[in-house]
Amino acid sequence: MAVSDLAQTSKAELSVRGGRVDAARLSMLALVAILLLAPLLAGGFLLYSLSLCFANALAVLSVSMLVRYGGEVSIGHSFFVALGAYAVAIVEHRLGLSIVVSLPLAILLGAGAGFVFAFPSRRLSGIYLAVATMALALALPEILIGFEKFTGGFEGLYIAQDLIPGIPKALQRYYVALGVLVIVCLALAHFRKSAQGLALLMAQAQPRAAEAMGITRSWARISIFTLSAALASLAGALTGFASSTVSPNSFTFFSGVFLLVGSVVSLNRLSLPAALVGGAFITLVPTYLAQAGDWVPILYGVALVVVTLVANAGDLRRFLPRGRGR
Amino acid sequence: MMEAGTSEGLVAEGISLAFGGLHVLNDVSLTLRPGVITGLIGPNGAGKTSLFNCLTGLYHGQRGRSSFAGTLLNGLGPAQRAACGITRSFQNLAMCPDLSLLENVLVGLTLKRRSGWFSAFVPTPALRAEQKEVERRAMAALSELGIASAAHDKPSDLPPGTLRLAEIARAIVCEPRAILLDEPAAGLNAVETRDLMRALKRLMRPDLVLLVVEHDMDLIMELCEQIYVLNFGQMIASGTPAEIRAHPDVIRVYLGDDADD
Ligand SMILES: Nc1ncnc2c1ncn2[C@@H]1O[C@H](COP(=O)(O)OP(=O)(O)O)[C@@H](O)[C@H]1O
Ligand SMILES: [Mg+2]
Repeated sequence: MAVSDLAQTSKAELSVRGGRVDAARLSMLALVAILLLAPLLAGGFLLYSLSLCFANALAVLSVSMLVRYGGEVSIGHSFFVALGAYAVAIVEHRLGLSIVVSLPLAILLGAGAGFVFAFPSRRLSGIYLAVATMALALALPEILIGFEKFTGGFEGLYIAQDLIPGIPKALQRYYVALGVLVIVCLALAHFRKSAQGLALLMAQAQPRAAEAMGITRSWARISIFTLSAALASLAGALTGFASSTVSPNSFTFFSGVFLLVGSVVSLNRLSLPAALVGGAFITLVPTYLAQAGDWVPILYGVALVVVTLVANAGDLRRFLPRGRGR
Repeated sequence: MMEAGTSEGLVAEGISLAFGGLHVLNDVSLTLRPGVITGLIGPNGAGKTSLFNCLTGLYHGQRGRSSFAGTLLNGLGPAQRAACGITRSFQNLAMCPDLSLLENVLVGLTLKRRSGWFSAFVPTPALRAEQKEVERRAMAALSELGIASAAHDKPSDLPPGTLRLAEIARAIVCEPRAILLDEPAAGLNAVETRDLMRALKRLMRPDLVLLVVEHDMDLIMELCEQIYVLNFGQMIASGTPAEIRAHPDVIRVYLGDDADD
């Protein structure tokens, strides 16, 4: 699989002959090349922000994946993100091990949590499911503060261990986050063509037809939630690694809402550029909003209402331009 | 527990189905023998699709039993019946708009595929080989119905006739043991209907159960060896085309008030 596949979210694009595929391939290579070389030019804060942006892009992808392949929205994905972030921090504090161990562990924990959540809620959909995910996001701060002994309570925990000792921390954060993001985008492009990917898309668009082909609704629901939560948890692990810290502040109820808004902003697409747009949104907007002071809760509230209304309408994809999505 | 004779083919006995007070099927029985194209006709609203949904597990009748090749189907859902080798098409086209026609047909092979979750995200040689094989089979099914040239188009860019044929391609692609087609000729022009009938006859194998639901009497008469007639949820006649043509109740239904169907 080539880097160009990052741009390919649909078979139709693949079959476009000649010039356009080459242009897409080139622009994608160019984007990855620029990102690889960026640390030569940029430094300090910009590099740090970009690392966070990559990690956040992964979190946005996890929500977009749920929307695309599951046809559902979640406003509680910050729960799974926090799970991954705290896994990295706790593994370091308790066991003294780096992300070599905690990254795979975060994926497994996320998958497990996604499965555990999906199983009882496998018959819910639309607004009901969204509200169920909201419960996760609401419970999160309580859990983080309640298990103070492990989570460090309000203070949170620091993450200090390097992946490869000797290489500057900023570069490690940057390249690890970028590398994982690129790999995940490639994997998602591959997934679109896989048996499971096709089956999930069918189950979402035509549940009855899918059942008649042996694809049950509960299989589809449990599968997509497990996958999406695993990705969210991986994203969280990288957020922790990239920011060197975890605390309840980063995982409020509204970070779940924000992930969904970020996914909408990136048009729920699963390509590298779309993920970067969503990631940049999540990274930058809260910072700017913070300057709005008293208005913040109101802006968050408006965002929540809008997102809930969209979820209630049942179909985010209506807002996509014709042809790409459906 | 199975009596002789019922162990072959797809058998439904005494199916009754009601939605609230609306009795859609009343004590309906039919036997679909392998190697024979069976037709089910009846005016609109007679309950053909409902019977179909009972056979495929989408609806569960309040009464009656159904079995396939000696296996009791009662209590099995659509996915489990699909695993028994029963496939179907939908009267209301059920294509996924995000997928190309070829990919829509590929989904019909889901139960036959062995590739696991790992290869869903990481390309492996085994997956490549499988992908090639299933694409070959899907293309063969599309060719069989004469729509291979539309393989890479999106459903929204295609006429209903082509989608109807693709719906059938998806039902036959996994080489099922029973195929149930709900109004396969609806929306097709005369030429496409001819091609479809030829394709269905070519499809016929001695061990295949094939049921075609239609309200077009002429098409069914030409295609089928065995015909059932449903009216207001009641099976009013069954037999060969000649017997059906001469059946007084059928004549009344088709030449009487409901003649416009
Ligand atoms: N899910 C359902 N709920 C309520 N009524 C239904 C349902 N499905 C079918 N019916 C009713 O059953 C009757 C038969 O419909 P149907 O089986 O679609 O007929 P046909 O396929 O022969 O045209 C119709 O009156 C229809 O309204
Ligand atoms: Mg019907």
